[in-house]
Amino acid sequence: MLNVEGLVKKFGNFRALDGADISVKEGKILGLAGPNGSGKTTFINVVSGVYKPNGGKIFFNGKSIYKLEPHTIVHLGLNRTFQVPKPLSGLTVEQNVKVAAVYGSKEGNVKDKINSALNSVELDNVKHKEASSLTSAQQKLLGLARALATNPKMLLIDEIAAGLNQHELKRIADMLIKLNKFGITMIVVEHLMSFLDILTDDVVVMNAGVNLFRGSIKEASMNEEVVEVFLGR
Amino acid sequence: MLKKRIGSFGIILIIALIFIFLPFVYNNQSFLFNMMLYIALAEGLNIIYGFTGYLPFGYVGFFGAGAYSASLAILFLHFPPLLSIFIGGAGAFLVGIILMPLLKLSGAYFAIANLAASQALYYIVANPNLESITHGPYGISLASIYNPHASYYTMLAVLVLSMIIVLFIRTSNFGLSLLAIKEDHITASLAGVNVAKARAIAWGLSAFVAGLSGACFAWYVSVFYPGTVFSLNISVIVIVFALFGGIGTIAGPLVGALILYSFYNFIGISAPEYFQLLYGILIIVLVLFLPDGITSILQKRKIYVP
Repeated sequence: MLNVEGLVKKFGNFRALDGADISVKEGKILGLAGPNGSGKTTFINVVSGVYKPNGGKIFFNGKSIYKLEPHTIVHLGLNRTFQVPKPLSGLTVEQNVKVAAVYGSKEGNVKDKINSALNSVELDNVKHKEASSLTSAQQKLLGLARALATNPKMLLIDEIAAGLNQHELKRIADMLIKLNKFGITMIVVEHLMSFLDILTDDVVVMNAGVNLFRGSIKEASMNEEVVEVFLGR
Repeated sequence: MLKKRIGSFGIILIIALIFIFLPFVYNNQSFLFNMMLYIALAEGLNIIYGFTGYLPFGYVGFFGAGAYSASLAILFLHFPPLLSIFIGGAGAFLVGIILMPLLKLSGAYFAIANLAASQALYYIVANPNLESITHGPYGISLASIYNPHASYYTMLAVLVLSMIIVLFIRTSNFGLSLLAIKEDHITASLAGVNVAKARAIAWGLSAFVAGLSGACFAWYVSVFYPGTVFSLNISVIVIVFALFGGIGTIAGPLVGALILYSFYNFIGISAPEYFQLLYGILIIVLVLFLPDGITSILQKRKIYVP
């Protein structure tokens, strides 16, 4: 469903992505792990159109999305969430989702899409609250709801578990599994291997802007290069 | 939503009726015309600043472009005044399209670039070498079509139009998308909003309203100079009026212009020695205690402001 080949992103002389090759099949969840600065979030930013790449190829459902604007990529069915929540603070929770329901996809009834998205992330009881008044965990869920309201075929989830307690982690993992069962393909960027372990047995480990390893978490834990990257030995 | 729209239409209707009948009981028509002019300009500025966050310090550029486009259409093409008013709006809209790349800037950079663009327009229009077209620094005379009565009611129509545009934006999904862009353009883009297109529409509408207003002003005064219609004071006054009332609503710029222009007119004329002082104090109090404008008092109490 998503095929990325030789993706390059430079910030000045620094190559945040240095030829990353990552692909995901339809209906699957791929975990994306790696130490800080390995290029995971940059990868999501480039694929979602937030950053413009400097080289490589990006195909989504067979169509090149290289250098397309974010809204165009969203209309094709690919959306993402943010590690640091980016709510539309002055708007209510419902309005946050409404923007996405109206502009993200022409399919379906707007009200139904809003209700379904809020229901999926269990935020329907706070829909009249201002987004700025939500907790950090709720704001992450709001980001997910906004993405869901655009009727995505694929989601790029950026460190949704960061800073959450065990109960919230379990809840979000269950939500993601449920969404995947409804047919949404995912790449889940995460530091917490235990969180990825719940979601998938297919993990890519990145380092220095390239993919270092692909396999199960168990295999990753036994791979010397991966261990060295994570533990800095 | 329907209730809110009806309520907002009610306000527009009341304002229209007031300005239709007020000239029959209050004979200072110039004051009433300028009041309508500043409300319309404050509403026009509100479209781009209130809903997208772009502060156009050079907003007067559109006003001047409207005044000159309409005047040149009357002088050279012999268009009737009403058609020329529309040409004024279209001229400003065209300037808006030319200045569209400015929207790639943000914050102070946008404000300064827009200010510079309005001044560039002023110097182009006032250039003595263009005297055969723009009359250069010697200004424009439309004495042959002078008609304060007709231009007054045309200005009223422009005022109503400007408020209807803001009403549409305030209560539509398009307005919601603009507010989303104002909050965070990346998040808005990932919600599927075509940010560049939405901003361009708001920018064009804002320019169009200023152009129509400038054209009405040209018709009403009939004689003016480049410095009159490209005066930076107009930008500053309109920004202060909109901020004083509160942006992002129909009522905010309306209330701001009504209060401050009345204050300016009465105190500024009867006690000019105190005016600047009182005006300054008023603005300082506003910035310190009501940075979101007068209407924010109601909004903080969760009362809907149209």
